Amino acid sequence: MQPSSPGATEAGASAAATDAAPDHAAVELQAVHARLEALARGMSHDLRAPLRAIEGFARQVARDPAAPEAQAQLERIRQAAARMGGLIDGLVELMRIDGLPLRPGPVDLGLLAEWVAAELQDAQPEPPLQLEVQDGLGVTGDERLLKTLLQQVLRNARQFAGDGPARVEVGGEREGDTLRLHVRDHGIGFDMAHAGKLFQPFQRLHGRDEGAGDGLGLAIAQRVAVRHGGGIEAEARPGDGATFHVVLRDLQ
Amino acid sequence: MNGNRDILLVEDNPDDVELTRIAFAEAGSEHRLTVVSDGAEALDFLFARGAHVGRASADLPAVVLLDLNLPKVNGREVLQAIRAHHATRSLPVVVLTTSAEPFDVDAVYELGANSYIQKPVEFERFVDAVRQIGLYWLSLNQVPGNP
Repeated sequence: MQPSSPGATEAGASAAATDAAPDHAAVELQAVHARLEALARGMSHDLRAPLRAIEGFARQVARDPAAPEAQAQLERIRQAAARMGGLIDGLVELMRIDGLPLRPGPVDLGLLAEWVAAELQDAQPEPPLQLEVQDGLGVTGDERLLKTLLQQVLRNARQFAGDGPARVEVGGEREGDTLRLHVRDHGIGFDMAHAGKLFQPFQRLHGRDEGAGDGLGLAIAQRVAVRHGGGIEAEARPGDGATFHVVLRDLQ
Repeated sequence: MNGNRDILLVEDNPDDVELTRIAFAEAGSEHRLTVVSDGAEALDFLFARGAHVGRASADLPAVVLLDLNLPKVNGREVLQAIRAHHATRSLPVVVLTTSAEPFDVDAVYELGANSYIQKPVEFERFVDAVRQIGLYWLSLNQVPGNP
């Protein structure tokens, strides 16, 4: 009898493969479950927070529209609604990355970084983003996803630039089929004691008054790197900038 | 009756800080609300170190209202540190958070939280919750060291 599917052929081909495969699949599945669970917990907390602000301040304004603080409370409502929108966009992006079919092609990450920087600057002129890009940062990857990765890492560098312009260097080297990219900024940095939380959704190392966003950007960047067979790490010191090391393997 | 009437609010969200202030005012509370915006600062405050060096460390709040999702050191870690230190081991800690996940509730009780309250979305219910927190933790409850 002929095997009914390519999967059945593989399963029958080698006893070693059948022994190893379920373990690997189970570990993968467990990791996916853990990620979804953490995401659900974060959503339960972070999506309710802007709703509560909208409800609470709307009630204050309704009670006394002429109160001196009413305008400021309306502004809080507007900002909470904008945050909610940003959160939903970020969540949809994060949840879609793992399922997107990859479209491999030649990508120049230096050019892509300049393009992303120009877009970020257009959308919000302050603080100025001063980018220094090394030549020869090519990889075979999914341009759309890699653009998302650079958007998140550069946006992060800008958010935590501290005073003055955000100075960022993008460089790296190729080793065989792997590109080791680094993105170095000179911003406020962070304490490495908290580095483990950096790429987890909804985890923030800074408060909103220090420029913190929705806590999803670096989680998105990490998923893109993982889909390119690599990963992302960071090193930093408080007050002395941060460097993100991104490993990307050429997609087949 | 508890002698110390201060409340330490550990909350990073400025909207929630403002709403909590309004809620305490509406609930008729006269307690002083001290606000710190991340877990690391909460521990600095309680242990009189860092930016809070020089504060009388024996002068602990009557109750800590602790959010879970905090920058740097999260709420669970703050709770663990409070319970691990002899000076704060019996300090009342009320987890006041948006999450109602059973996982969070179980985890924080295991870490030694005295109470777990989900912040309601509706402001009137939030004022009600704050009123009851004030009534119970700041008026009725007896804590060790305050006979």
